[in-house]
Amino acid sequence: MTVAIRATDLVKSYTPGSRALDGVSLEVASGEVLVVMGPSGSGKSTLIRTFNGLEKLDGGELDVLGVRLDAAHEERPVREIRRRVGMVFQQFNLFPHLSILDNITLAPVKVQKRPKAQAEQRAIELLDQMGIREQAHKFPAQLSGGQQQRVAIARALALDPEVMLFDEPTSALDPERVKEVLDAMRQLARDGMTMVVVTHELGFAREVADRVMFMDQGQVVETSDPASFFTNAREERSRRFLSQMV
Amino acid sequence: MNRWLNRSVTLVLTALIGWGLWSVLHWLLLAADWRVVVSNLPLYVVGSYPVDQRWRPLLWMVALVVLIGFTLLGPRRGPLQRWLPLIWLAMAPLGLWLVAGGLVLEPVSTRDWGGFTLTLLLTFGSGLLALPIGVLLALGRRSRLPVLRLSSTAYIELMRAVPLIAVLFFGQLLIPLFLPPGLEINRVLRAVLAFAFFAAAYIAEDVRGGLQAIPPMQREAAAVLGLSEWQSLQLVVLPQALRIALPSLTNQAVGLLQNTSLMAILGLVELLGISRSLLANPVFIGRFLEVYLWLAAVYWLACTAMALLARHLELRLDPLRSDR
Repeated sequence: MTVAIRATDLVKSYTPGSRALDGVSLEVASGEVLVVMGPSGSGKSTLIRTFNGLEKLDGGELDVLGVRLDAAHEERPVREIRRRVGMVFQQFNLFPHLSILDNITLAPVKVQKRPKAQAEQRAIELLDQMGIREQAHKFPAQLSGGQQQRVAIARALALDPEVMLFDEPTSALDPERVKEVLDAMRQLARDGMTMVVVTHELGFAREVADRVMFMDQGQVVETSDPASFFTNAREERSRRFLSQMV
Repeated sequence: MNRWLNRSVTLVLTALIGWGLWSVLHWLLLAADWRVVVSNLPLYVVGSYPVDQRWRPLLWMVALVVLIGFTLLGPRRGPLQRWLPLIWLAMAPLGLWLVAGGLVLEPVSTRDWGGFTLTLLLTFGSGLLALPIGVLLALGRRSRLPVLRLSSTAYIELMRAVPLIAVLFFGQLLIPLFLPPGLEINRVLRAVLAFAFFAAAYIAEDVRGGLQAIPPMQREAAAVLGLSEWQSLQLVVLPQALRIALPSLTNQAVGLLQNTSLMAILGLVELLGISRSLLANPVFIGRFLEVYLWLAAVYWLACTAMALLARHLELRLDPLRSDR
């Protein structure tokens, strides 16, 4: 079993005296789906944003796909990681001035220097996989939230990432649109993608996660397999959180 | 009672408007002497440009009119549409070459440039220079480097605090003093530079407004896709910011065109300058109203063309409204 992400004692502090991440350590195996849960402000978003350098560390050490990051890292390893790690945001963050197709092909063409025709063919395949092939020539504002989020997933996948990070991908969606995005992610997990997913979707965590990590106040409270986490959480704090979720 | 009041007000207003229209028409058609305009048309267009070379600025202007017509009324798709932005950009160097000469054309000194040709050249030239400077200043003002941020801010604030006419005097009178003897920048170029550096400060603020409207998450999204900061700026942030800034940039362009008339005070014979020298001719003495009315019409026409083009560009750049 190879390790995709190894974090050791991560510390991140936005304001002196309070720590958004307070000594977080974890390992994500290649091909594994790790779901991170926790109340808002628990540091889960901050955690996965450190994985691709969106947040700079104040302490500790990260190893992402063999590339090391720490508090003193440079720009170059961050770009290397970003080329191999895809990310999907809560707010989709599509580029409104570009068509769906151009949104997806922008990075393959400009960063990976692939031929445009080839990148477009791959984009169409991905849109097909996401069930929204017919939207290719529209613009983001013409799509529903669920469709936009699936475009965002396709855009990340177009770079053939080895790891996918999801930062609350369904939190900004209408309830009836959540399922179409979760289905796409479920399919991705089934295909063996390494995934770290921050989410409040209990059903998704129970069904898809290999392990569930529960965080509170910048610390890992417990990490368990989903079956025991949801029926019989070890920690009092986790049980209190779960009882409020249902 | 109320009805009678309404009727009498309507009647009085109609009579006033009718009388006003009648006297304007009467003046326009009978009292005014349009010879000062009609017999000097070539002068308004090209100034004292050599007579046998007048076809060059005229050719440029015809090309501009054709291009405006094609842009506004031509087909929305087609091979030419794709090249349209480049063709527009090429109009400035083309005009400069046609008017100044060089290569195969006989050179014409800037002293002989004038009329509406000079007005357009000043506007085009300074606008094209000011836009990139303005964008750089806007980016500088938002830079993380304190030196860059402070100097950009200082430049913008200083330039905005000085009246344009002072900047123009500075350009015309003081720049030559600072240059080493022997090195001379001609008057038109000095004017273009002064205009460009002045307008850049205002453009910078318009562009900054556009930049601020782009959510920071757009840059994050570009960053996680592996785009470099420069690529993210060029492909994601600036295209959106400039589109947002477009209405204010149009404002600047219209202002620039009208402000070129200030150069008449400094002795350049652009459209206003040539009109003033015509009024000094004893043959046309006292024909102020005709000349200024004619000038107003020409400026209005040029500004309307700019406004229409800007509106057209706005619609083209709106992803939800253009037929792409």
